[in-house]
Amino acid sequence: MSRTFWGYRRADGRVGCRNHVAIIPVDDLSNAAVEAVGHVVQGTLPLPHPYGRLQFGPDLDLHFDTMIGTGANPNVAAAVVIGIEPNWTRRIADGIAATGTPVEALSIEGLGDLKVIERASRAAAAMVSDATRLMREEIALTDLVVSTKCGESDTTSGLGSNPTIGRFAERFTAAGGTFFFGETSELTGGEDIVADRITDPEQRAKFQRLFDEHQRIILEQEANLLGSQPTEGNIAGGLTTIEEKALGNIQKIGNAKVDGVLAMAERPTRRGLHFMDTSSAAAESITLFAAGGAALHLFTTGQGNIIGNPVVPVLKLTANPRTAQTMPEHIDLDVSRIITDDMTLDEAADLTEDLVVRTASGQWAAAEILGHKEFVLTRLHRTA
Amino acid sequence: MQQDFLVHAPDDVVGVAVHDIEPGPAVRGRVQNGAAFELAVTQPVPLGHKVALRDIPAGEPVVKYGVVIGRATQDIAKGDHVHVHNLKGERWT
Repeated sequence: MSRTFWGYRRADGRVGCRNHVAIIPVDDLSNAAVEAVGHVVQGTLPLPHPYGRLQFGPDLDLHFDTMIGTGANPNVAAAVVIGIEPNWTRRIADGIAATGTPVEALSIEGLGDLKVIERASRAAAAMVSDATRLMREEIALTDLVVSTKCGESDTTSGLGSNPTIGRFAERFTAAGGTFFFGETSELTGGEDIVADRITDPEQRAKFQRLFDEHQRIILEQEANLLGSQPTEGNIAGGLTTIEEKALGNIQKIGNAKVDGVLAMAERPTRRGLHFMDTSSAAAESITLFAAGGAALHLFTTGQGNIIGNPVVPVLKLTANPRTAQTMPEHIDLDVSRIITDDMTLDEAADLTEDLVVRTASGQWAAAEILGHKEFVLTRLHRTA
Repeated sequence: MQQDFLVHAPDDVVGVAVHDIEPGPAVRGRVQNGAAFELAVTQPVPLGHKVALRDIPAGEPVVKYGVVIGRATQDIAKGDHVHVHNLKGERWT
């Protein structure tokens, strides 16, 4: 895979395919100011969310990692951080600035919303002016970090769309690209297959620790998960058990070796195929992949998940001919001819590669056109 | 190369319908990247759902992708629809 695309190279060398000026609230209280800046200054991307108060321990660490990672995503040209209190606001702004991304921090206590909105808007206006002056340049496709996830899967995912991503992942990582997959709970029944693919024993031990911890949490609830995992949509599509779902899921990495294992929102230190510990819920996992540095997402669906993300383009593939026909405005690539006719995985992976190049160079994904901006933070435990 | 259902791996005991299948004596199946064959199907099998390729007695493992995905909760006859009514996973139970 020696292809190039037209993208943005950031100060620290990382590569983006979108050029956002992100307006990031530290906490729920700051959403009003963040959204006000979004109304005043065109070309900004407000990222409101409901959390950030009274969190502690690992849950608070993940909040910081996710907010910093989002602001430092290579699709973000510059960021304004707004929080109620100065210390946490500064902590997130400093984390973003450490990657070389221009950032402005404002805290509301002692100033009030209106002064903060004015100052933040002036900073954001200058950032939009700078960001829109940047030109796209020709960059190796394998410098773009890509992530994958499946949703509302059915058995056509395991037969067609997931193996298509698997073939793409094999090619992309063989050529030196960095590719993320996750969905910890949805490896259940296929976890040994993934563990065997992890080449570095230390990384394999990290995977086992993350997987076992997630299993412990699930089993501790002593709940019947049928309807949650597999979902009602999965079952309608013919998926019966979590093991079956997991085996379909891991088709997305093909036969590729796994080079690294990441905690939630963790940024990789090497290239190659990485497992990230994530929820299997689409919005949570894509938000975490983006915080880890993924700039483009490949999403496969069977029954028709419609997920998008504000920071990264989310491309939708399906091998379900009925979904391709009934929900065409959500589908970027229909590979159903793999199951109904004689399309090969190589042909489907070629089409995927073309789509990735086009989208990374500027063409909008269906989810962008339809305004899907699901930004959802993962919570680990209750607030204090 | 038209078929009614596909089979992931040669050892699998179920195939996956690629469109809605009506019961019939000669439904066309194919192992992915492998041989085509015919199967007598006893029940309607919707798109994406599984059909038994041989008799699976209650308690026996159900194999798909060459891997056990659960066990039969009742006797399943060759050609039957296989889903939550007669197959249950072994994890999280």
